[in-house]
Amino acid sequence: MALGASSKTYAVNLEVLKLELTETWNYVSRPVCVLMTTFALSTVAIAEDLTIAFSAPPTTIDPHAVSSAPSNSAGRHIFDSLINRGGNAENLPQLAISWTPLDSTHWEFQLREGVTFHDGTTFDSEDVVASLNRVANMPGKAFDPYTRTIKNVEATGPYTVVVETYSADPLILNSLSRLRIISAEFANSGSDAFDQGEAVIGTGPFKFVSYRPGDEINMERNDDYFAGPASWENLSIRIITDNGARLAALLAGDVDLIEALPAEGQVRVAESPNHEVMRGQSTRVIYLAPDMFNDASPQITDNDGNALSENPLRDIRVRQALRKSINRDAIVERIMSGNATVAHQWVAEGFMGNSPGVEEVEYDPEGAKELLAEAGYPDGFRMQINGPTGRYENDSQVLQAVGQMFSSIGVDTTVIVQPWSVFGPAYPNHVFSVYLASWGINTGEVTNPTLAIAVTTDAEAGTGRYNGGGISDPQIDALMEQALQELDDDKRKAQMQEISELIFNNSYLFPLHYESVALGARKGLSYEPRSDKYTLAYDIKPAE
Amino acid sequence: MIIPILRRVLQAAGVILAMTLIVFVGVNVIGNPVDILINPDLNQLERDEVVRSLGLDLPLWKQYLTFLSGILEGNFGDSFVYGTSAIKLILLRLPATLELAVVALLIALLVGLPLGLYAGLYPERASSRVIMSGSILGFSLPSFWFGLMLILLFSVNLGWLPSGGRGETRTLWGIEWSCLTLDGLQHLILPAINLALFKVSMVLRLTRAGVKEIMPLDYIKFARSKGLSEKRVIFVHMFKNLLVPVVTIVGLEFGTLIAFAVVTESIFAWPGTGRLIIESINLLDRPVIVAYLMMMVSMFVFLNLLVDISYTYLDPRITFGSKDK
Repeated sequence: MALGASSKTYAVNLEVLKLELTETWNYVSRPVCVLMTTFALSTVAIAEDLTIAFSAPPTTIDPHAVSSAPSNSAGRHIFDSLINRGGNAENLPQLAISWTPLDSTHWEFQLREGVTFHDGTTFDSEDVVASLNRVANMPGKAFDPYTRTIKNVEATGPYTVVVETYSADPLILNSLSRLRIISAEFANSGSDAFDQGEAVIGTGPFKFVSYRPGDEINMERNDDYFAGPASWENLSIRIITDNGARLAALLAGDVDLIEALPAEGQVRVAESPNHEVMRGQSTRVIYLAPDMFNDASPQITDNDGNALSENPLRDIRVRQALRKSINRDAIVERIMSGNATVAHQWVAEGFMGNSPGVEEVEYDPEGAKELLAEAGYPDGFRMQINGPTGRYENDSQVLQAVGQMFSSIGVDTTVIVQPWSVFGPAYPNHVFSVYLASWGINTGEVTNPTLAIAVTTDAEAGTGRYNGGGISDPQIDALMEQALQELDDDKRKAQMQEISELIFNNSYLFPLHYESVALGARKGLSYEPRSDKYTLAYDIKPAE
Repeated sequence: MIIPILRRVLQAAGVILAMTLIVFVGVNVIGNPVDILINPDLNQLERDEVVRSLGLDLPLWKQYLTFLSGILEGNFGDSFVYGTSAIKLILLRLPATLELAVVALLIALLVGLPLGLYAGLYPERASSRVIMSGSILGFSLPSFWFGLMLILLFSVNLGWLPSGGRGETRTLWGIEWSCLTLDGLQHLILPAINLALFKVSMVLRLTRAGVKEIMPLDYIKFARSKGLSEKRVIFVHMFKNLLVPVVTIVGLEFGTLIAFAVVTESIFAWPGTGRLIIESINLLDRPVIVAYLMMMVSMFVFLNLLVDISYTYLDPRITFGSKDK
């Protein structure tokens, strides 16, 4: 396991080395560069084409087979949904122009008329029924979290559809925003037909041209798009997973915009006269989870290495003390290079379930020591903390910093990082005393992360699957049960706020920060980065 | 000739079988691919169904037997991630890697051999010393750094060559090739140079050492005293003997060019098998890992065979098969 840590350190050093060498090289090459630019013409031209670089590969063009961010993001260029999910997780009309709940389990959707598919056929309710049935029956089950509450979909007219749910489902609009509508003609086509291109017929802003797995996807503008044609005649999505290569492609002018601008490249891009950094806040929250499950926590001993009779993390004062020892401003500023925002709860202000009643825990090492002493640990104890490496931005560096901060208040902390393939499957199993994990809150509201992380684990019901800290609070469980059935937004909001307060005022979890979305782009483009980190070329416009 | 080849094939089959067993057990020890692959919002029932559909609910030995029986039918399993045939996935990407490796090898030979000959024949000249010092750089520069420097100089600062990707391709025999279009060739230059750098130095040094070893030998003196032209002495009498070690190394190194093009492929966003295997290992995509390794083992065995056969043509004293006894 130590191997994981050391190899990561090595990788980190290489990154630093790369950067330093790059800087040196800039210094040396600048005169050459100046010379060359006097001969070369400026590459900034009014282009009708757009090339963007994804940081992770869409693994299929079938919009119903895989629900990963890159696949969904690529799919949204070609296919529309009933509901359009806005950049801040709001539900907007797309192929549906309006919707009304008929009763608690029936929703009626009015469809947009006059929309045509890329092959010229007309879009109507049959396509919706066929698409929603296909996605629910895919063997990979990728979209089950969004289809599982849907009991039946019925076309009640050429442009009306009624969706029936098993029980009241307040998240149905969010779910439908994730299910893409394909042409009914291809409802029985397998994923191969999509990957080879013949079935890739949607209503979206771009038409499919070609796909080379792991390399690039090419598209052309759909001039008949119902919301108006895109600004770009040809769109090329290239997949460049290596950070340095993606940055170089941007600086070399090979691509117009890159996703996931690496933190160490942001200065370079910001200083470049032809490029700029685009920032937005994501709904991905990074947190630490303390083990309250085990009677004696597996990785905690006293200062001499002897087992403790009780689990100190069950004492709220100890948890508070640990939280107070973490200087999150420093983490955000130095380790994340400003590429994150300090988090106090699941979601930031403006998202559903954010509560002003959640106390913000400030950095206070003295107060932390007092709390520890009060809890009966004036000399602290020994603890191991764990996390993945290479999964989240600077994950292992963040964890190392946290380790040092814990140590500074007397909790002698060892840091262990592991590759995701090892850490990921292990952390829900209550084997760690404190671990770093993260959740991308794709619904933009509180029930989604709570259901997975902060309700009592129940394998049958599938709740609390990632509750490695063993949170089990009957109040939270009861509130969740209500919130998951509540169709009244105001009531739901109040329930969710209470949930937020219960989780974070009890320090069941230690939120660290929300990752930012950082994009690098050539000058002359305007785009608002989305909280779900999707990059959508339709919303990229030439700057005025 | 036939029997030793058959023996090699049998050996290879044994190695492959052992390798698949190791990979199966190894991947299983690391973790469960399902935990990495599936949407974390799935509940237990849905998760179980995915596990079943991937065949991961069976005990490991049963999974292994299913896999073996699949191979007998020519089915190497479907990728967990891409959902399509693992072997197809690899074959789709192999041309890109092969193309890159062949061009890199050509560069290594076209640059390394003449320079090595020159440095060996005229070791005292200042230019030879420069060549030899330069080759040390070739050995010691890490390829990720050299690659980034190439990109920085030729793409970012000078803007002469693209920074990555395969560029425009043309289809020949149902396979896409970059080397058939001008744009593709431009994309190929930098990664090929980066991949070739180490091999150039190696071929250069091998050649030089060979020249210095062979030139003082009696048969060279005899050839010269026979009054043969220097050209004939060097390019016929010496060159063939020189080639024996070079062919061995180059043949074996071609395998490593393909198998370890990972760094170059990542830096230049080259969509080859190296990137595929790294991504597959990170996602524990076992069918792809197994299929890839099987292919690599077979390739190494085949290359070894090819090297042995070519020996017999270069040096008639060596007979194929005899050294196995």
